Amino acid sequence: MQFIQASQDSWHADVGEDGPQPHPPVRAHSLLTLEQWHAVREHWPADVPVGVQLANNVDIETLAADLPPNLSRLGLVVLHFPKWVDGRAYTQARLLRVRYRFAGQVRATGDVLVDMVPLLARTGFSQAQLRADQDTEVAQRALGFFAGHYQGDVLQPKPAFARDLAQEAGPAAERARAELHAGQGI
Amino acid sequence: MYAYTDFDRQFVHARAAQFRDQLQRHLAGQLPEDDFKALRLQNGWYVQRHAPMLRVAVPYGVLNARQLHTLADIARVHDRGYGHFTTRQNLQYNGIPLTQAADVMDKLAAVDMHGIQTSGNCIRNITADALAGVSADEIVDPRPYCEVMRQWSTLHPEFAFLPRKFKIAVCGAAEDRAAIGWHDVGLQLKKNAAGEVGFQVFVGGGMGRTPIIATEIRSFLPWNQILCYLEAIVRVYNRYGRRDNAYKARIKILVKAEGQKYFDAVEAEFARVLAEDVGAGLQLIPQAEFDRIAASFARPAGVVPGADLPAVTTVSSDAPLPYQRWLQRNVHAHQVPGYKAVTLSLKRAGLPPGDATADQMDAAAALSERHSLGELRVSHDQNLVLPWVQQADLPALFEAARAAGFATPNIGLITDMINCPGGDFCALANARSIPVAAAITERFADLDEVYDIGDIDLHISGCINSCGHHHSGHIGVLGVDKDGSEWYQISLGGSDGSTLSGAAVPGKVIGPSFAAEEVPDVIEAVIDTYRAQRLGGERFTETVRRIGLADFKAAADAQRHLTAAR
Repeated sequence: MQFIQASQDSWHADVGEDGPQPHPPVRAHSLLTLEQWHAVREHWPADVPVGVQLANNVDIETLAADLPPNLSRLGLVVLHFPKWVDGRAYTQARLLRVRYRFAGQVRATGDVLVDMVPLLARTGFSQAQLRADQDTEVAQRALGFFAGHYQGDVLQPKPAFARDLAQEAGPAAERARAELHAGQGI
Repeated sequence: MYAYTDFDRQFVHARAAQFRDQLQRHLAGQLPEDDFKALRLQNGWYVQRHAPMLRVAVPYGVLNARQLHTLADIARVHDRGYGHFTTRQNLQYNGIPLTQAADVMDKLAAVDMHGIQTSGNCIRNITADALAGVSADEIVDPRPYCEVMRQWSTLHPEFAFLPRKFKIAVCGAAEDRAAIGWHDVGLQLKKNAAGEVGFQVFVGGGMGRTPIIATEIRSFLPWNQILCYLEAIVRVYNRYGRRDNAYKARIKILVKAEGQKYFDAVEAEFARVLAEDVGAGLQLIPQAEFDRIAASFARPAGVVPGADLPAVTTVSSDAPLPYQRWLQRNVHAHQVPGYKAVTLSLKRAGLPPGDATADQMDAAAALSERHSLGELRVSHDQNLVLPWVQQADLPALFEAARAAGFATPNIGLITDMINCPGGDFCALANARSIPVAAAITERFADLDEVYDIGDIDLHISGCINSCGHHHSGHIGVLGVDKDGSEWYQISLGGSDGSTLSGAAVPGKVIGPSFAAEEVPDVIEAVIDTYRAQRLGGERFTETVRRIGLADFKAAADAQRHLTAAR
């Protein structure tokens, strides 16, 4: 999991004084609203990386034309948590990964707490912009409690019953897990 | 019962460690209550009137003696010496200080227990027929399927923050002892003409402010597809369920509002899961995995089928009548010849329904060790069941159960009522339910009268959240708050879906609410009306269905001295 600091973010929203510009110019690493994207997608060059922000009540199917196997030109999809207990974006992220095989970055924004990070990772988020008062060290620690889970997820499609659990439950697995969670992520 | 593997054991210990970390941050002021709340809820910790409440999961109601001894120990050491068994087959404590919460979770983990998803807006502990694996009318043993679904739903990352709580109940017998129609998802295990096992799937049932009975969405789903099908049901709910109003957020509201459109969306999603998703095929339950889990539920080695003895009616006791009554009400038919299942009644004068003291928990555990291969069940009507009792042991068990206070021969009768903790403990409640239950128990202290009244479901909830299942009671009592005082609405004719009660249906309210003091009189008047009007061997609920509510309402209204009928 990559933790994003807004000040050092390489992606930039195209927002003017009156809100998002209706027809944003072509710029690398533009982060667009869905409306902006729909306004420019027809003539957006395939080699210019672009990101799209989705509200959590938007169906992922809305982006289908821009996702594999049709196109792979989105570099980033930003999914939003208006409240941390509103779990709709988990479904959006999982569908992006397991149904559309989206291989770009998936970022969580909004009310993102350290204790959500295990769920984010398992549903396919690769980046998290934590709420301002959250501590990345605690978030890293939160990733380390479980050696494995019962049901398959984006990181590990095999459910427990399809895996060799002896590999997961011993001391060697504990060490491997500590290393796995040392900063990188998906 | 299910035998924990190293993986399972490590998992509950990891959960306890994770909770300890969260609790420490909270107690250190680094995790504010607003953020901590949803985390503690998903471990079973509520904040209640006097202290936090802990709800311990008893998966599909199956418990062993070692676990129950530990629950007794926790009650004694960390609480005020008792616990409360719930309609969802769990156990609640009402007095454990939050500072001891992590230690308690460690003690639970040591006996393969936890509080995972016993609260919060997630898939809750799955409930089942308390007689699963032993009942004489069983078609398919639901326990292995429950365990597969327990594992699938445990810390499911996509479904941890649903619009609202999500409850699944499973039944595999001819008789529905799990009230499946009243659940978000109700599953009835069946065999088709070819002898293959599948699920009849119902969706969208629930109690609360808007009682709705679940609708069939699949008449026969092959058993190995259940995880993918549940994924489709819950995913469509997670995406489209309402989140603007907690009272309209349960799946029943979505199903009711969308009807066929919801069913179509689930079927379409299910088809896409199977056809398109990475790893979907891996979720089809392999026969080998089913067999591994089912092996845990094989008939215990100590069970040796014997001859079914003629009912033993004599007992070396001074109380032949109580023993006969106990045989009649608390002893149930078994699928193994020579065996019976026996209910230990937690409904007796002096203690709230479903409560057990630490000593009683130890006593029940000891009875299970002596007479039931160390296994117990928690029933959805808040009693304990010993599933493996040899018929020849019945007289000895009766004496021992009687000495421990478990032998009240009232199962299925008016004093075997379902009752939530109510306003004495619960912060949500509008009114107390325990004193009402106590007053009714006192009013019906005469067992001859209780037997004359016969089979009846009396269900009492302290508020509209319906933990006491008032909607499904033949007589339902609902606590309401008006101008800061306690009032009680009475409803008649509800059903949990059992054969006796008829198709699941919410009861009908018989007029404005009554004052607390009036409630026992009203119940008595309603019962007297039944006894005056019944024909032949007609049961209470049958009389209500036949004659309607008018006479009952008139009798109830005649008891009003503090309230006015309208």
